[in-house]
Amino acid sequence: MSFYFDRLTSFFRTKPRLKPAELQAAFRGHYKEFRALLTANNNALELMAELEQALTAGHSFGMAFVRGNCTALSVNIYKMIQHLTRLADGRYVELDHPFRTITRELEQLIAIRSLSTEGEVILSMKEIDVTKVDQVGEKMANLGEVKNRVGLRTPDGFVITAAAARKFIATSDLQVEINRRLKGLDLDNLEELYTVSAGIQSLISNAPLPTELEEAILAHHRQLAADSDEELLVALRSSALGEDSSNVSFAGQYRTQLNVSREFVGQAYKEIVAGKYKSQAIVYRQQRGYRNLDVHMCVGCLRMVNGAVSGVLYSRAPDNPRSPFVIIQAAPGLASAVVDGSGVTDQFRVSRTPPHPILHRQSGVEENDSAAISRRTLTDDQAAELAAIGVRLEEHFGTPQDIEWSIDQSGLLYILQSRPLGRSLSEEPPETSEYKPMAADLPEPLLIGGACVSRGVGYGPAFKVRSSLDLLRFPKGAVLVIETPYPEWASLLNRAAAVVSETGQMAAHLATVAREFGVPAIFGMKQAKATLANDTLITVDATAGKVYAGRIEPLLALAAPKPNLMVGSPVYKILTQALVHITPLNLTDPASPYFRPDSCKTLHDLTRFCHEKAVVEMFNFGERYGFDDKTAKQLVVDAPSQWWVIDLDDGFTPDFDPESRYIDLGHIVSLPMLAIWQGMTAFPWAGPPPVSLGGFGSIIFQSTRNPHLDPAVRSAMAAKNYFLISKNYCNLNVRLGYHFALVEANLGEFLTENYVSFQFKGGAADENRRLLRIRLISDILSEFGFRVEQKVDAMTARIEKKPGAFLLERLKILGYLLIHTRQIDMVMADEGMAAGYRRKIMTDLHTLIIPTTEG
Amino acid sequence: MATDLKILLIDDESDFVETTCKRLIRRGYSAKTALTCADGLTIIASGWPEVVVLDVMLPDRDGVDCLREIKEKWPTLPVILLTGHACMQTGMHGLEYGASDYCLKPIDLETLVEKIAIAHRESQKPGI
Repeated sequence: MSFYFDRLTSFFRTKPRLKPAELQAAFRGHYKEFRALLTANNNALELMAELEQALTAGHSFGMAFVRGNCTALSVNIYKMIQHLTRLADGRYVELDHPFRTITRELEQLIAIRSLSTEGEVILSMKEIDVTKVDQVGEKMANLGEVKNRVGLRTPDGFVITAAAARKFIATSDLQVEINRRLKGLDLDNLEELYTVSAGIQSLISNAPLPTELEEAILAHHRQLAADSDEELLVALRSSALGEDSSNVSFAGQYRTQLNVSREFVGQAYKEIVAGKYKSQAIVYRQQRGYRNLDVHMCVGCLRMVNGAVSGVLYSRAPDNPRSPFVIIQAAPGLASAVVDGSGVTDQFRVSRTPPHPILHRQSGVEENDSAAISRRTLTDDQAAELAAIGVRLEEHFGTPQDIEWSIDQSGLLYILQSRPLGRSLSEEPPETSEYKPMAADLPEPLLIGGACVSRGVGYGPAFKVRSSLDLLRFPKGAVLVIETPYPEWASLLNRAAAVVSETGQMAAHLATVAREFGVPAIFGMKQAKATLANDTLITVDATAGKVYAGRIEPLLALAAPKPNLMVGSPVYKILTQALVHITPLNLTDPASPYFRPDSCKTLHDLTRFCHEKAVVEMFNFGERYGFDDKTAKQLVVDAPSQWWVIDLDDGFTPDFDPESRYIDLGHIVSLPMLAIWQGMTAFPWAGPPPVSLGGFGSIIFQSTRNPHLDPAVRSAMAAKNYFLISKNYCNLNVRLGYHFALVEANLGEFLTENYVSFQFKGGAADENRRLLRIRLISDILSEFGFRVEQKVDAMTARIEKKPGAFLLERLKILGYLLIHTRQIDMVMADEGMAAGYRRKIMTDLHTLIIPTTEG
Repeated sequence: MATDLKILLIDDESDFVETTCKRLIRRGYSAKTALTCADGLTIIASGWPEVVVLDVMLPDRDGVDCLREIKEKWPTLPVILLTGHACMQTGMHGLEYGASDYCLKPIDLETLVEKIAIAHRESQKPGI
C-alpha cells in the first residue's frame, strides 16, 4: 500500500515553488537519474540470474566468475542507491547501512585468502599419516597411512610439503603473474588454453628454487641414498591437496617422474609443481569448482621400486560395489603402463574370501601369442596376497579402494598408492530391461565389441585425434575417436559427446575421468579408427558396446543426464553461501509496513526497494514540485476509462494540450504503453458475464465487483490504475480487487537498457486455484522467452537485453494476460479446464504477436 | 548510436589496449591509448577525449586516485572504470568519485561500446 500511501501523503508535503523552466529542468534531471537507476536495476537482476543459474546449470565456473559477478552486482546496487537518494533529494540514505552489512558479508566470502608459507618444508614418510593431509596432500597422506598405520610396505622417501610449494612460488613472486595470465582465459579456446598453460609451466620450471629449500631436498635425498649401495633413483609423485578425495580424482592430471637421479631432483620437483597448470588440470579444476589458489602441489620423493610386475588393484569391481571379488590388472615392469593406458595387461578376478582363489583370468594379448600365454604376470600366491591387501585397505579406509602396486625383482610387494575407487559405474542406472525388446528395432551397428569403461549413450560427429594439433581442432560435441587413451586427451572430455578408443581398459586415467564427467566411453574397440570417418554422425552406446551410424533416438532417450560436477566443490559452496546474501526476496509487498530500508536483508531486497521507491518518486514529482493535479490525464476510449496516464518526458504528442484533463490514444506515443494496450484490447472478454468493450477499465472493475466471479471480493478497491510513460518507457500498476500486477518496460537506445518485467501477486481465490493460475501464467511466459520466478502465489517474469521489436511483442502478451487472468481464475477449478484454456490462450497469443527474433 | 566518439583508453596492459583501440577504430570511433595515468592526463588536458576508459591498476598511480584527479579537473568528462581485479571497495570509491560505470575484464567489445555510448549520453545536459 505504501505506493498509494506515498502518493496520498505527498499532497501534504511542502512544495518548493519553481518557475516553469526550472521545473522542466528539474524534472528532466530526475528522469535521467530514474533512467540510470533502471539500467543499474536491469544489470543487477541479470547478474543475480546468472549467479543463480550457475548453481543449477551444471556448467563449470571458477572463483573469478563468482568474485566478478558479486562485485559487479554490489557496485550496480550501490549505483541504484546513489540514484535513488538523488532522485528523492537526499532521502533513503539509511539504505547505506543494510548495503554495507550485506556487502561486508559477501566480501568476506569471496576474499582471496592467502595461506601462510610457514611450516615444515619436508616430512619423512615415517612421520606421515592421514592427519598430515594439509601438509602433504591426500595421495601422500594415504600412502603414509598405508605404511604407518596399516603396516604395509611402501617405498621409503619423503614429501616436499605444500608450505614448500608456497614458499617457492612466493620467493619468485610468481603468483601475480600466473593469475594475470589465467584471468579471463576462455577454456573453449583450446589454442589459447594450451599457450597460457605452457607459458605458466615454463615460468615455474625456470624460476630458481629458494636456496634453503634446495638444500633441504638434497639433504633428505642424501639420507635416503645412505641406505643403498647403488645410485639412488627416485620417483617424484605429485600429491595435490584435494587430489584424491572421494568424489574427485584428478586422475592423471598431474605429473609423476620416474627414475630421477640426484642432479635432476630439483628440476623435476619444479616441473611437478608447474604441472598444477597443465591444461587438463586447469580445465578440470574449473569444471569441478576448485580454486587454483586452494590447490597446492605437494611432491612425494620415493625410492624407485624396480618393478618386475606392476599394476592396479580394485578392492571391488568398479561396476559392482558388492562384488565378492577384487579385480587386478597386471603388466610386466612398472605400473605406469597400466595407468597411462598404453600397455596390454592381464586381468584377474580374485575372491575376496581367504584363501583368495583366482576366479577368472583374462590375458590382454592375442590368443595365438604362445610366448605371451606362457608368461604369467602373477602367481596364484601373489594374486591372493594382493586380494587380501585390497580387502584390508578397503576395511581400513572404509570404502572400496583403487590401489597401485608393484612387485620388485626380489619378489617384495610395494603399495604405491591407495585412493577411493571414486564414482563407480554402478552409480549410474543399471542396464535396464528396456534395452532388450528394443534391440530388435535397432539398425545394424557399425562396430561391436570393446569394453564399456563409462556407461551411457552419446551422439555426435566422429573426430579422430592423433596429435596435439588435432586436439586444437576438436569440435564441441564430437565423438572422440582415438587409438590409445592417453591422459593428455582428458582436456577434451568436457567437449566430447562420447569416447571410442581402440585400446585401453578400465584402469586408464582417461576412463576414470570419463566416468567422472559422465561421458560414455568404449575402450578396446578394434577398427574404430578405420571404420569411423571424421564428421560421420554416430551414436555410441557405450553400455552395450556398440556404435551406430546416425542418430538413434530410442537409445539417446535412455541416456542419463550428465552429473552436475560442481556440486559439493569449494567454489560451489562459496557461491551457495554468497547467494544467501543475494537472491532471497523478503520485500515482496510494497504495501507492507515492513517495506522499509532496515528490512533489506539481501541485495535482491535492496534492488526491489530502490526500484519501487524510484517509481514512487517519479510519480510524486509533480505534486512535490507544485505541478497541479492535472498531471495525471484520464484516458478516454469512447468514454472516460478507469485508466490514468502520467507523462514523464516525451510520452505525449507535442500538440497535446497540457491543460486538458483527458487524453485519447491518438496523443500517446509511448511505444511500450501502446503495445500493452494492444494486447489488452485485441481479444474481447470471452467468458461470462458478457461485457461491452466500451470503457475498457470498466470491464475489469465490473468483473471484480461481480460477486459471481469472485465471492471473496466484497468491494473493489477504488484505486486508479496509472500508466507512467515516456516515449520508450512504461510502468503500469494495476490493482484489481486483490490482484496486484506491475508491468514495466524500457526500450532504450542500447540493448543494455532494454527490458520487460512483469510482477503478479495475489487474487482472492482459494490457494489451489491461485497456484494453478500462477503456474499457467508462468508456463505461457516461459514459452515466450521470459525468465520466470515463482514464489508461492507471487511471480516475477523478466526479459532483458533484447531488441525493442521483440520486447514490444512480449508486451502485447502481458497486456492480454492482464485482462484474461481474471477469466482464467474462474476456470481454474480443475486441471482439465486449465489445459483447455491454455490452448485457447496460446492460439490467441500466436495470432496476436508478430514473430521476431531475439537478435 | 553515435559512432564518432573520441575515446581514450588508459591501461598498462598493452596487448589489451592496443587490440581494443584497433577494434574501436574499425567500428568508426576515434580512439587513443595511454599506458600511464600521467600520459592519460596529458591527452585529456589537450581536450581531445569525450569518454575515458580507465584501468584501476596503473604503474604510476592508483587508478581511483587518477580518476579523482580527472573528475576534479574535468567534472563533466565521463570515465568508465575497467578492471581485471574485482574489488567492491574500488568499485564503490570509483562511483563516489564520479565514475560513470565500473566493469570487469574480460568484457566483450559490444558491451563496452554500449557502456561508452551510455556514459557519453548521460554526461550530456538533460533534455538536449
